[in-house]
Amino acid sequence: MSQSVSIHKSSPSQNADKTYNNNWAKIKSALEGYLYLVPSLIILTIFVFIPIVASFQLSLTRIAPFGGKSIAVGLENYTRLFADPEYINSLKVSLLFTLGTVPGGLILAVAMAIALSYPMKHLSWFHRLLIFVPIVISSAVTGVLFRWIYHPVVGYLNYILSLMGIEGPLWLSSKDWALVSVMLAVVWRQLGFNVIIALAGIQNIDSTYYEAAKVDGANLWHRIRHITLPLLSPTLFFLFIINVINSLQVFGEINILTEGGPGGASNTLLYSIYYDAFVGTPFRGYASAQAYLLFIIILIMSFVQFRGFGRKVHYQ
Amino acid sequence: MSTSTAQIKPARRKIKWGEIGLHVYLIGIGLVVAAPIILAIFTSFKVANDITNYPPTLLPEVWTVENYITAWTATPLWRFFANSLIQTGTIVVFQVLFSILAAYAFSVLEFPGRDLLFYVILASLMVPFQLTFIPNFLTIAKWGQINEAIGPNTYFALTVPFLASAFGIFLLRQFFLTIPKDLHDSAKIDGAGNWRYLWQILVPLSKGSISAFSIFSFLGAWSQYLWPLVITNEENMRTIQIGIRFFLFDQERGADWGAVMAAAVIALMPTLLIFLVAQRQLVKGIAMTGLKG
Repeated sequence: MSQSVSIHKSSPSQNADKTYNNNWAKIKSALEGYLYLVPSLIILTIFVFIPIVASFQLSLTRIAPFGGKSIAVGLENYTRLFADPEYINSLKVSLLFTLGTVPGGLILAVAMAIALSYPMKHLSWFHRLLIFVPIVISSAVTGVLFRWIYHPVVGYLNYILSLMGIEGPLWLSSKDWALVSVMLAVVWRQLGFNVIIALAGIQNIDSTYYEAAKVDGANLWHRIRHITLPLLSPTLFFLFIINVINSLQVFGEINILTEGGPGGASNTLLYSIYYDAFVGTPFRGYASAQAYLLFIIILIMSFVQFRGFGRKVHYQ
Repeated sequence: MSTSTAQIKPARRKIKWGEIGLHVYLIGIGLVVAAPIILAIFTSFKVANDITNYPPTLLPEVWTVENYITAWTATPLWRFFANSLIQTGTIVVFQVLFSILAAYAFSVLEFPGRDLLFYVILASLMVPFQLTFIPNFLTIAKWGQINEAIGPNTYFALTVPFLASAFGIFLLRQFFLTIPKDLHDSAKIDGAGNWRYLWQILVPLSKGSISAFSIFSFLGAWSQYLWPLVITNEENMRTIQIGIRFFLFDQERGADWGAVMAAAVIALMPTLLIFLVAQRQLVKGIAMTGLKG
């Protein structure tokens, strides 16, 4: 055991008795350490670590059509995926979803964070309150609230559009607009988080840069363009990755607003996993293969973020 | 994180027009951002005619609490709410307790493999729930065949995968590490063992971090959706998040939007209250960790 090895190393005492006591004390304290970890380790082992393997094993199986026995099929589920037009569609939908929510959401967040960063004597708590409040709203509540806003007849969105002379679409049942509807709802729910992180980033920028720029006569736009944005870039990078990962994990809004439809128009990678695993006839092996691919995508994003974030800490 | 030093400084002593403009801009944006919540609250107090009237109005013409009575009693929404309280309460209590214990081991105690185990736990943060929920569902389903009390449609099933939190362990460990070792040494001299030192000295000193983590834990648990959706199929075990979805789909046919909005307001009220009470702490926590929990 590695335990006893390290104990010998760390106690090169000549006195055998003393060594024995010392060793015993160390074993006891080590056992105590493990004891404190046991509850968390048991839960994480059963519900996180083992499932990493179990999920992969599951992805190599298929349920026999009769008898419900599980058959090993090797990598068949994976090879099938890339020939499956529905899966290709989900890849496209998720890509569109990410492209549609992340850059736009970040631009909005930075614009708001810059405005919020000005020190103001009054009401700054109030501005923050209104802009941050979506952070505590769940995906299900977001779905319900937006379903009401998108209501084709009495919804507020189409009413406001009509005031501008635009005839609003049937948001949720339109093949062209269903995904956009979900995107808007998700951008809204993520906004508070993005603004908070961006604002913290802006407030960490050394004010002397701004003072120097002002001496040089730089106007507001120049200050934003040449000081705020470049110095905020590590934060933006972090936010970008986090938002891409989040956009791949959106579920509640889709389940409530569109259920992946119409005709797969909002059937993202995750929604497709859920659908194949739990709706109608369960294809859990096939769903697990999809889950594994999604995991790999998210893992790559996480690694990119860790590397980038490490650099950021170094760089500041 | 120094928040005091650096801000974009506006020109001093100029006319305050700029500042007034900024206020207008920010309030405008803020109202748009908060609109879905504000509209839901007002709609939940409207009578049925008022809601379907075109053009829609902002404020109710007649204020009524009828929708709340409908929402609370028509479906067992009160039951969903109670389920959510039990589920969330259980998750928060265990996450906090287990995280304190593990964080203590990782910050104060010394034993072989400590750092390796810590990194393993940290690595679990990179495993998305989207990967684990299918095998976890199968695990619980299998347990249910042995004993229904630990199978699907139980509070046990709703909570057990989330009783430990790698995020909590990390957060509390970071805080415990800032507490001087001398304190532990002098406690030892006074005859306090690890258990007493942890609960009588370290935990009271870490109240801020622990309560911050509790808030994150509460928000995360209360908002859960995917797991409660797949692990419960009996109506009386639904959480409020799943409950409002089914309530919505039931009511939509009758187009009782007032009741739906009342249900949504009931579902968001606990987290909204937390936000109003602990906004500062919450924002600081997010800014510091870059995580939502």
